[in-house]
Amino acid sequence: MSEATVASPREAKIAVKGLRKSFGTNEVLKGIDVEIAEGEVVCVIGPSGSGKSTLLRCLNKLEDISAGHVIVDGFDVTDPKVDINEVRRHVGMVFQHFNLFPHMSVAENIMLAPVELKKATKAEAREQALKLLERVGLREKADARPASLSGGQKQRVAIARALAMNPGIMLFDEATSALDPEMVGEVLQVIRDLAAEGMTMVLVTHEMGFAKEIGDRVVFMDAGVVCESGPPAELFGNPQQDRTKEFLSKVL
Amino acid sequence: MIAGLVGMFLLLGGSAAALAAPADSGVEGKTFVIGTDTTFAPFEFRQNGELTGIDMDLIRAIAEEQGFAVEIRSLGFNAALQALSSDQVDGVIAGMSITDERKAIYDFSEPYFESGIQMAVAKTDDAIKGYEDLKGKTVVAKTGSEGETYAKSIAGQYGFEVTSLDQSATMYESVKAGSAVAVFDDYPVLAYGVAQNNGLKTVTDKVPGGSYGFAVDKGNNSALLAAFNDGLAQLKANGEYDQILNKYLADPTAAVPTTFWELLTESFPALMKGLGNTVLVTAISFAVAMVLGLLAGFMKISHNIVLRGIATTFVNVFRGTPLLLWAFMFYFGVPQLTGQPMSIWVAGVLTLSLNSGAYVAEIVRGGIQSVDPGQLEASRSLGLGYGKSMQKVVVPQAFKMMTPSLINQLIIMLKDSSLLLAIGFTELLYQGQQIYASNFRVTETLLIVGVIYFVAIMALTKLANFADRKFNK
Ligand SMILES: Nc1ncnc2c1ncn2[C@@H]1O[C@H](COP(=O)(O)OP(=O)(O)O)[C@@H](O)[C@H]1O
Ligand SMILES: [Mg+2]
Repeated sequence: MSEATVASPREAKIAVKGLRKSFGTNEVLKGIDVEIAEGEVVCVIGPSGSGKSTLLRCLNKLEDISAGHVIVDGFDVTDPKVDINEVRRHVGMVFQHFNLFPHMSVAENIMLAPVELKKATKAEAREQALKLLERVGLREKADARPASLSGGQKQRVAIARALAMNPGIMLFDEATSALDPEMVGEVLQVIRDLAAEGMTMVLVTHEMGFAKEIGDRVVFMDAGVVCESGPPAELFGNPQQDRTKEFLSKVL
Repeated sequence: MIAGLVGMFLLLGGSAAALAAPADSGVEGKTFVIGTDTTFAPFEFRQNGELTGIDMDLIRAIAEEQGFAVEIRSLGFNAALQALSSDQVDGVIAGMSITDERKAIYDFSEPYFESGIQMAVAKTDDAIKGYEDLKGKTVVAKTGSEGETYAKSIAGQYGFEVTSLDQSATMYESVKAGSAVAVFDDYPVLAYGVAQNNGLKTVTDKVPGGSYGFAVDKGNNSALLAAFNDGLAQLKANGEYDQILNKYLADPTAAVPTTFWELLTESFPALMKGLGNTVLVTAISFAVAMVLGLLAGFMKISHNIVLRGIATTFVNVFRGTPLLLWAFMFYFGVPQLTGQPMSIWVAGVLTLSLNSGAYVAEIVRGGIQSVDPGQLEASRSLGLGYGKSMQKVVVPQAFKMMTPSLINQLIIMLKDSSLLLAIGFTELLYQGQQIYASNFRVTETLLIVGVIYFVAIMALTKLANFADRKFNK
């Protein structure tokens, strides 16, 4: 194992060190340092355009990283020798707009990765897909097309799909923002269950109540930097920074 | 050449064993490969898919008379002569004039046909009875032909203009349409056209021209040549020779004009063969175009600037140049550069598929770019590689959007394949041309060809839309 891939001494599940990201001349992340322990649930909040999504997408290298290091499950994703596809199997991701594959059935969406990555035969993968659908309460939708599902159901399928490779980490980018209000609850319940099972999770969210309830820690980002972070009770109850106070006064 | 040597040997052997086989001509029981032109009515042309004509009837009758077999190869005039020089064929019969230049390279039979130039006018024209009546008028002749040379040689004397055209059929049409009053053409071609009721009549005597002969490679196949001469003399003696000539050149009063229905049933087999080739060359070319188009389409969206450059150049070159240019380039140009002849199928498929591939590349690029980028991200986030993600997630969705454009491209290609007639590819329109080149029923033949194209394209469209609905649910 090269030096770059050695995990930090505290055995952080995710370690972000001096992360910078620019789109052309526009620097969007201006040096982020965050460590997330195994089983920890971290909620990322902040104004629109502050770089929350970009930070999340750097964790599984959907964005190229301009500078710094991101270490996930012991892999330095900035190390070109590291097989990023291997790392991504350890990290599930859920998108705001679900991004289900419309030309496949619900079960096929979930089976795609295990079958294509030769982790399971078709029969085993289907078995597992049905179990995952059971977990998100949608077993009867296994053979439906995504187009026939409601938004909440789509997002629950997307979560099941992200769980198909048994990842140790789950990333959620505004998983409930595109949903009608009456459907937010069913998705949050699935996330709550995952937290209870001890999944390491990073959630970008606008649901402050949910962040307070579920988060072990809340990170407030503004203009490409982590402005303030701490346990939800402290950050929401007694924010230290003016920018945090100003943001919270608008959203709470 | 081997057949020739064997023939000589047998000839010698035969005379040595003269008592056993006194009449052995050295050709009996053998098969000779005979090269000929593709279409030169009335000497060789296709009727109902079969090669027929004066040359064909003669060589077959002589072969039968002399007890040998022939295998006819319809190669085209120049190709047949090349094949003769390289001993790929044993003899050539192709309405070929015996000239001193040719005599230096080939051995010729006795002349089997006396050609010449003749003038014809519209059947209904009673004003023009001879060259004197041409004053101030326009006549047509075939570009580069002896008819053109002759017409120009007397144009000043009789005070008429000569316009040159490329095909006999178009010359006759222009006389019938009145844009020219008379046509100067080879006597047999003209006589055959008149015999086919092409709407013309001859009004002057034949101006004697060249004589046609059967040729073998110089010094080779003398037994075959001798057998040809012998057989020809026999046919002339027994009247069969005149029968063959009359069959094609006799006065039209004997010929009954065929109805449209007869034209249709007679031309149908040849047209169906043409349609078969049209469909086959389109199918193969489209498969190749899809592969090329997919490759180039992916290269166009690649991050690699070199790949992108190659694909963009490919698309620009083939979208920016005419299809026909590439047909000529592949069929005539490339063989001269490489010294390797190119099969007409290879040339045809290359032409169609490279041209179409450029358009398919653009369709593919557009189709892929129209798929939500979130789809690729979702697949990549699951740990699937770029290739797998494209294959399983992006391309299937892109294809759904691309299908209507691809069907369109397929139909354009099927129609464009008719351009391959310019290099002699026997597709549907080419077959149509061959038919009216021998029967002069231009409008009706084109009408039939048009209807066949239309029906084939409608059927293809329906089939493609059905497949689209079935597979792209
Ligand atoms: N692919 C991209 N190209 C250029 N700029 C981008 C891209 N993605 C995000 N940005 C910019 O980066 C900044 C941060 O975006 P983002 O991370 O999506 O913010 P947030 O999720 O906090 O709303 C924004 O100014 C956005 O315009
Ligand atoms: Mg965002």
